[in-house]
This record gives sequence, C-alpha cells and structure tokens, in this order.
Amino acid sequence: MLLSWLNMTMMMVMNKKDFIQKLIFTVLFLLLIINPLKGRNYYIYVTAESQDEVHVVKFDGKKAVVIKDIPVGVWPLEIEGPHGLTISPDGNYWYLSLAHGFPFGHVYKYETGTDKMVDRVELGLFPATMQISAATGLLYVVNFNLHGEHEPSTVSIVDPEEMIEIKRVETGVMPHGSRLTNDGLKQYSVAMMSGMLYEIDVLQFDISRTLFTGRNKQTNMQHSMGSMDHNKPMKKHTKHKMPKEKPTWVYPHPADTHVYVVNNGIDNVVEIDLRKWAITRQFKTDKGPYNCEVSQDGKYLVVTYKSAAKTGIWDLNTGQELVRLKNTRRVTHGVVISPDSRYAFVSVEGIRGEPGSVDVFDLENLTLVDHAEVGKQAGGIAFWKMVD
Amino acid sequence: MDRFRLVFTCAVLILDTVTIQAQENDSLYFQFEPDSLHLTIGDSANVKITLFSEDSSLSNNQFLITGAWESVGVRPWISNLEGVANVLVKVFKPGSFKLRARNITSDRFNRVRGSMPITVPFPPIAKAEFIDPPRTAYEGTTIKFAVRVLDQAGITRQDVQPDFESSSPEIADFDDFGHLTVYRRGRVQLTVRAERISSSIDLRVVRNPVRKIDLSLHANDYRTGDVITFQAKALTASGRTVEDAPVIFSFTGKAVYGIGLPASGQITPHGKFVAENPGDYTIFATSGGYTASKTIRITARNIQKRAKLVGHGLITDVFTSDLWVWQGIGEFKDRDFAVTGTWEANGEAYFWEVTDPSNLVIIDTVTVDARTVNDVKVSADGKIGVLTREGASTRKNGVVILDVSNPYDVKILSEFNDGLTGGVHNAFIYDNHVYAVNNGRKYDIINISDPENPWRVSSYELNTPGHSIHDVWVENGIAYSSNWNDGIHVVDIGGLNFSERNRHTILNNPVLQAAGKGSHRNPILMSSKTDTTGRNHAAFPFLSESTGDFYVIAGDEHFPFGLGEIENMVPANPRGGYHFLNMNDFKKPVEEAIYQVPEAGSHNLWVKGDTLYTAFYQGGLRVVDISGELLGDLYKQGREIAFYLSNHKNGRMSNATMAWGPQPYKNHIFFSDMNSGLYAIKLVEYDDDDGDE
Repeated sequence: MLLSWLNMTMMMVMNKKDFIQKLIFTVLFLLLIINPLKGRNYYIYVTAESQDEVHVVKFDGKKAVVIKDIPVGVWPLEIEGPHGLTISPDGNYWYLSLAHGFPFGHVYKYETGTDKMVDRVELGLFPATMQISAATGLLYVVNFNLHGEHEPSTVSIVDPEEMIEIKRVETGVMPHGSRLTNDGLKQYSVAMMSGMLYEIDVLQFDISRTLFTGRNKQTNMQHSMGSMDHNKPMKKHTKHKMPKEKPTWVYPHPADTHVYVVNNGIDNVVEIDLRKWAITRQFKTDKGPYNCEVSQDGKYLVVTYKSAAKTGIWDLNTGQELVRLKNTRRVTHGVVISPDSRYAFVSVEGIRGEPGSVDVFDLENLTLVDHAEVGKQAGGIAFWKMVD
Repeated sequence: MDRFRLVFTCAVLILDTVTIQAQENDSLYFQFEPDSLHLTIGDSANVKITLFSEDSSLSNNQFLITGAWESVGVRPWISNLEGVANVLVKVFKPGSFKLRARNITSDRFNRVRGSMPITVPFPPIAKAEFIDPPRTAYEGTTIKFAVRVLDQAGITRQDVQPDFESSSPEIADFDDFGHLTVYRRGRVQLTVRAERISSSIDLRVVRNPVRKIDLSLHANDYRTGDVITFQAKALTASGRTVEDAPVIFSFTGKAVYGIGLPASGQITPHGKFVAENPGDYTIFATSGGYTASKTIRITARNIQKRAKLVGHGLITDVFTSDLWVWQGIGEFKDRDFAVTGTWEANGEAYFWEVTDPSNLVIIDTVTVDARTVNDVKVSADGKIGVLTREGASTRKNGVVILDVSNPYDVKILSEFNDGLTGGVHNAFIYDNHVYAVNNGRKYDIINISDPENPWRVSSYELNTPGHSIHDVWVENGIAYSSNWNDGIHVVDIGGLNFSERNRHTILNNPVLQAAGKGSHRNPILMSSKTDTTGRNHAAFPFLSESTGDFYVIAGDEHFPFGLGEIENMVPANPRGGYHFLNMNDFKKPVEEAIYQVPEAGSHNLWVKGDTLYTAFYQGGLRVVDISGELLGDLYKQGREIAFYLSNHKNGRMSNATMAWGPQPYKNHIFFSDMNSGLYAIKLVEYDDDDGDE
C-alpha cells in the first residue's frame, strides 16, 4: 500500500518544486509509521563516588553493559568524590563535579566520546548537582557543602565554554538538585537544611522566588532586585532548627508548568504550580525518597527511594503510584529517563565494597529489565544519547 | 488526508523557519565601546555593548553580560530588548580578564558570543625600602642590601625588581642585585627605587683596619653531611679583632671521583659548611681585600646498610593504608601486634600478630561501614584502637572506637560521627582523647575516657581563607598538624606536667618549656610556619639526641603528573620531601635542611633516636641518618642508611612500589605498602649473608 502510494505521488509530480515538497512529505510519513524503538541503543554516564571513576553504560533495550571506565580526578591517592554529572545540550561535553578538595571542589569538563579532560574550575565546598540552561548556555552548580557548618551556601554560575565562574548566588543551607525549566529561563534548587525551594531568574542572576516545601508553614516569598541584598552574606547559622522536610531534589515538568520537589525527611514528593507558586498535590512515597525525574511526555514521575532501596513509578495524570520496584541493591540514588520516555535509569550506591549499579526500568511494562554493575557508590547519572 | 497536509505544512514551515533563523544568527555581532579596558583595582568604567545585525542595524536580540566571580563585577547583567547595554564594570583583582556577552537563545548552535579584554595591573608601589641597612661601611668590602617592596594593597611584591643607585659610584656602587662594593672612604647616598617610589639612606665609608683574616675550625675527621663551623676573624695589623667587618665565605673543591662529579656543598654566611661529595674542599673567608683559606678533606659518610626482608604479609585484593604496631597487654603482653587499614575497598582493618616478624599473620578483621579506613591507631596503653572512616554508605563516616586488649577478638565499642560526616582522614589517640581530622577542615578533640560514650571536647581550626588540614600528630602534650598551604601548626594542648620523670624532656625542648597553658578543651597555637611549596602533608617532632636541637619535620606531597596517571591508569608518580624546621626559637622557625628522593614522593614518617624512617611512595622505605647538625640536602650528603623497594607480582597493583607508612619497632622496621601489604625488615651490614629473600 505504501509503495503504491509512493508511485502515485511520483507520477503526480508536475514540476521540481512539487516533487521536493512531496519528497519531504513522504519522509515525514515514513517517520510517522516506523517503529522508533527498533534497534535503539541508550548511553548513560554514571559516577562512582567512592572509586573516583565515571562509567559509560550502554543499554540496547535488553542488556545493560558498562562499555567504558573513566578514572577521574588529579590526586591518585585521595578520594576526590565524583558526584554530579551533566551533558552539554549539544552532546559534545560532559561536566563532572568533584566534591572534595583542599578544601574546595571543582567542576571538570570532558569531551564525550574521547572522554579527555578539557578544563576545570574551582567552585565552593562540595559542588554537586548541575545543569546548563538552554537559554543562556551557562552552567548552574549547587555548592552542597554537605559536611560543613549549617550555614547558607550558594549556586555557582559558570561559563562552560571558558570554564570560569561568573557569579555565586546565595541560597539556603545545603543546596541540592540544580534543574532548569525547558525554556532555560528559571533554575531551581532546594536547600535540604532550610526546607526551601529556590528559583533563580537566569536573566537577573538572582533569586526571584522561594517557597517552603512542606505543607504547614507556607512561606511564600517573592524576591525582586532591591528587596533583599543577596550580595551580602547572611549571618552564619551555628544552630538552626532543622526542617523535617529535608528536600533533596527538584525537577520541572517538561511543559514548565510545575516542579516536583522530593521531601526526603517526610517521605513525599510535592507538586508545585509555578504560576500559583503553591503546592497543588502531594504524593506519599516509600521511605527516604531522594531524586526524581519526569518523563519527556509528561506522563511518568519516577522517584528513587533511598532508604527503601526501591524505585517508584507514578502516573502524573492520575497521581497514583503505578508500581514500586525493588532495586538490585541498597541505597538508591539518582534517576534519568530516556528522551523517548521509555526507560528510567537508576543509579544505586551499594554498601561498602559492593559494586554500585545502574538499574534499568521499562516504563511501559513497569518492570526491571536489566542492571549493570559499576564502581562503588554509584551516584550522579546523566543521559548522553540514543542511537538507532 | 488532513493529517498528511498538516504534517507536510509543518515540515515546510519548520524548514523555512530554520533557514531564516540560521541566516539571522550567522550575521549577528557584538560591538564594545571602548573595545578594551585598562583599570586599577577598585576602579570602574562604563562600557556600551551593542548586538548588531549584519546590516549594522540593531539586532533586537537581548543578551547577557558576564564578568568573573570576585574579579570583575558587572551591572546590569542583561541588555535591553533592542540589544543595547550600558554596563558598569568594576574590577577587584589584578590580572587579565574578559568582559563577555552572549545572546539569549535556545538555538545553541547559533548562540553569538563576544568579549573584550580588561587589564588590571597590580596596585602601584607604595614603598621601596632597605631592610636594616648599615649606616657605616668599611672601604674595600662588599655588602648585600636587603630590600622590601610593598604595593598600595600592602602586599610584598616579589615580582618587582628594584633599581639601586649610588650618589657617588666612585666611593661605592651597586650591582643589579643589591650588592654594594665599597671602594674608598667618604659619604654616599644610596637609593632603592621601584617604579616611581624610592627611599634613600646615607652611608659613611670609613677606613678599613683589617689587615688579615684568621680562619679556623675544629680539627676532626669530617664526612659528607657533617656540618663544619669555620670561625673567621678579621684582624688589624696588631691582631685586634674587627668585630663588625663583613666576612664573605666561599669554597672550591675537587671531588674524589674527578671531573664527572662536582665538589658540591653548601656554605652559609655564618661559616657553616657541609659537603655533599667526598673530596678536598678549600674554604675561603674574605674581608676588605684580605683572604684566608683552609683546605679540608671530606670522606664518604659510609653508613649504608642493607634492608633485609624479614617478613611480608601479602595483601592482594585491596589497597593497604596505614599501620600501627604495639605490644600486647595482659595475657598477651609477651606478644606484638599490628593493625593495617584498607583503601577504596570494603571498610576492613586487619589485625596481625607480628611477634615473629618473619611470620606475619592476620588474626582478626574488623569491618565497618566505609570504603576507606585511611588511618589506624592504638592507644599507648594498648587497650583502645581507633579506625577512621571515609565513604560510608550512610555518608556519616566519623571514627570507630575499638577494644584491642584482645587483638585476636577485637570488639567495636562505639562509633562517633557527630559532625564528622565529611570523613575522617587521619586521627591520633593521646591521653584518652582522639584527635580526628574532620572533613579536611579542622581537627576535633574527642574524649574517649569512656570509650563506649565518646564526646567532643573541642576543635582546632585555622581561620585563613580556604584553609585545609591533612594530618595531626600528638606528642608530649603538643599537637603538630600539617595544613597544606598554611604549613605546620604547633599547638599547646597541655604540654607535660613538670615532674622528675619529665624534667629532662621538658628542659631540653624549647616548645615544652613554654607549653602548659593549653589543654584538650583549649588548644592554643604556639607556632606556625607556612610551607614554601604550599603542600604540607605531614608534621613530626624531632629532638636531636646528638645536638639537642629541636625540629619539626614537615613533609610535602605533590602529584604533578596526577591527571595523566589517572587517565592512563599507570602507577602514581608523586614528588615531595621533608623540610627540617629548626624550632630552637619556636616563634621563628627556620628551615635548615631538606630530605627528598629524586623522582619519588614523601608520605608518612617516624623518628626514633636520630634516625628518620620514612615511606617514600614509589621510592619505597627510606632510613636516614639525621644525627648531628643538619644543613642542606641530606639525600645528596649520603645520609641515607638504607632503602627497600617493596612490591610483589601478586600485589593489588603488581610490581609497583607504593610505601605508605613506617614504624620502627623492636629492632625491626614495619611498614605498609599500598600495593602489597605489611612488611617487616631489618637493617644488616652489607656483608651479612645470613640468608635473605
């Protein structure tokens, strides 16, 4: 039927322009009907935080294998702690945060493919999660300061081409999770020991809004230039009341209408309406939710449950958890979903000398498909590419 | 059909849009007015930035403007909608920077960037002055003038070469390096100038009464490494000593080995000489055109011994970290034990019986939640052990307190991780307290009088920007910490109580004499010295039995090839050495000697008597004679007694030496090697052929 349609199309060509237009049309038609999953390979980068390695994992739809081990850092005899990973939007580079230093950590820039180190920049204490904005092309990195005093830390803004730090924006205590809206105009992070969500307006290089991530105390603050001078450091909080929510992650919906914040301390994920700037739904999770991600089709929310050693898959339309699947080992960490919304790749740390792993979940069939064993304390994970 | 038309239409529109957009961004460009800036620190300037289209019209594209954190501040960060920004640029540091602009677009392939250079020179010079210059000088002498150049920020500027000037060069004149040659009597004004800043002093040149030099030394047989003190007296014709006549020392020599090996050594301005190679050396003392010399014969030190392997506890599957050796107590008091840690592994520490050093046997294993047990220590009474934790699955880390009174069945008494979540890299047990290096930022002092209920007493932390600490060693109530850029810190945590038993120790140690005001609860800094390399990694006190001099030996660790080694997965190739800081005047420590092995890197060390035992990573175990006065490069002086290159084909990394830490113990030297486990060696004479490995 397809071939006869093509013949008819060709015979109907009256002039060259018509022929080209119909050729484009034909190609699009074929693309619409071809099964996009046939023979697709997925490539993921994942860190091994207690082994100073990054691994490249390939998944072909059935099997996950480690195809490359990349030793990282510059101190062979000190564990430098690779923690966060992100890939540049053009796929040419990957960026890695090394948490430990003397005392400051660094972000390193590597070439994808060759995995050669290109450059690095020193940031603050324990740089962790990061992402590049689609609008500005700048890299936004939280300085987690996981083991330091409970005092406000910062988000570093880095020019990833030059690998220089441009600015630091002060947020809360132990900022974690750095994710941007798809239009690249807003950056979100949470402060674990402040219980707050922070929104940075990337065009203003400053905080535009904050929100308490729990239900009871809805502190809704609108920031504008001049209302609070974020250039002046806040007072050191030697003792402060630790919030029970302990948010650890934030992820925007692909439509940029909502963000999802993981409250590790109270076992839930809250959905926040970005227009209303308020919590609109809560999802009660298993123990110790840690990271989350929303599929590109907006259908699924995948949440890692660190304490429970499980991964939860939620239907965002209904707000129901579809399934809670056991991971292959304990201490579930990060998650990334393939752009075709088919597979979720979850990093799991493991215990002591046990290898970490990347567990692969099929979001259609809601099953664990396979896993690949990686280095100790698998953590930061980033999706590199799909290849048909 | 409608669907097809829709898809087709979208395709055409998409193609058209992409084409138009590509055409637009290909031609955008930034213009900066001015096109460069030259500012002084603290200054600001206005820059107009415009984003133009190809036809030089305004692009109507917004863009961002960025500087550099803590160096170049910009306001505003964003242009107007037309693509124009009037930016205020302010600079905070000297250097070369760029003001950058980039347009805001999701089409990253066509993002347009522009930049403009900003040059910020160092602050202008504020002061150029002589340091403690003489006001009179003898004719016919040469004097070195020290100079200080400060800029307006109060920073000493080593990068500025000052100019020297004499008002009467025929009386006295400078060379380019500040040496003044004094020719004849008279008065002269001397000036030092840096950029446009100068200062002057007056110098009176007087008649030089010196008519001869008397040079003497204590007659002895001298070897390489022996420090020989030459006494030089400048004398008048009548034999009166001219106390303030400057005397310059120099030497020449001929090494025993002939032209191939230099007659190398060192002589200080005060006449202390040390030779590195055997040979004949002539030392000269010169003043006022008069010279005296003495020739001495230096023989080889010849102290070398052979390091004989006695026993080896091979560890094949994990990396080995530190060790500690001790004598058992109670029913085990006639036996000896050791503990070793593991690195990037499974959180294990191995306990060994080492009573027979030729038969090192693991007798117990303790496993904790960690990936690295970097340090292991046992209390002086042999009852309590401590393991450090890094990479815990819970990320809580901290330390683990053990009952090691029965090393065959070690028990975990407690864990302490409050505030230690960042990992404890090193620790020390002293006087029922654990000194634990916390997250590389400070050390916490934890009371373990009740080892099942440890509690934090206090902390010691530097207050310099970006401070970081690596290790701490406590001895006789003084804590010696190694702090990377900040160098060593000598901290009073109580010293020693004055008693008949301690009297000798205290009176012979200048630091102990002044200590006693501090405590575990209130550690007080007594002395510090930054490391010229910025890489201070270890600190160990050493009171010389032969001279009574008190040193702190400061180790530095460096991985100059680290990136390449990691990328190519080859054995590490570190560098570094030990700096001997004379603490006789502990408020003004002075580095007098250095020990470094060519093409190897220093790690942990131990001093017993006047002997240094050190693990030199790929250089293996090194044993060094540090008796007598110390001056210069101890390695080149032949002071190394022995070395041992530990490695094993079945090691964690095969055939690769990586000595971690030593401990001399009961006529043997135990040390750990990262790649192959625990070793026991003994020093024997070279002709001792009493069977070895």
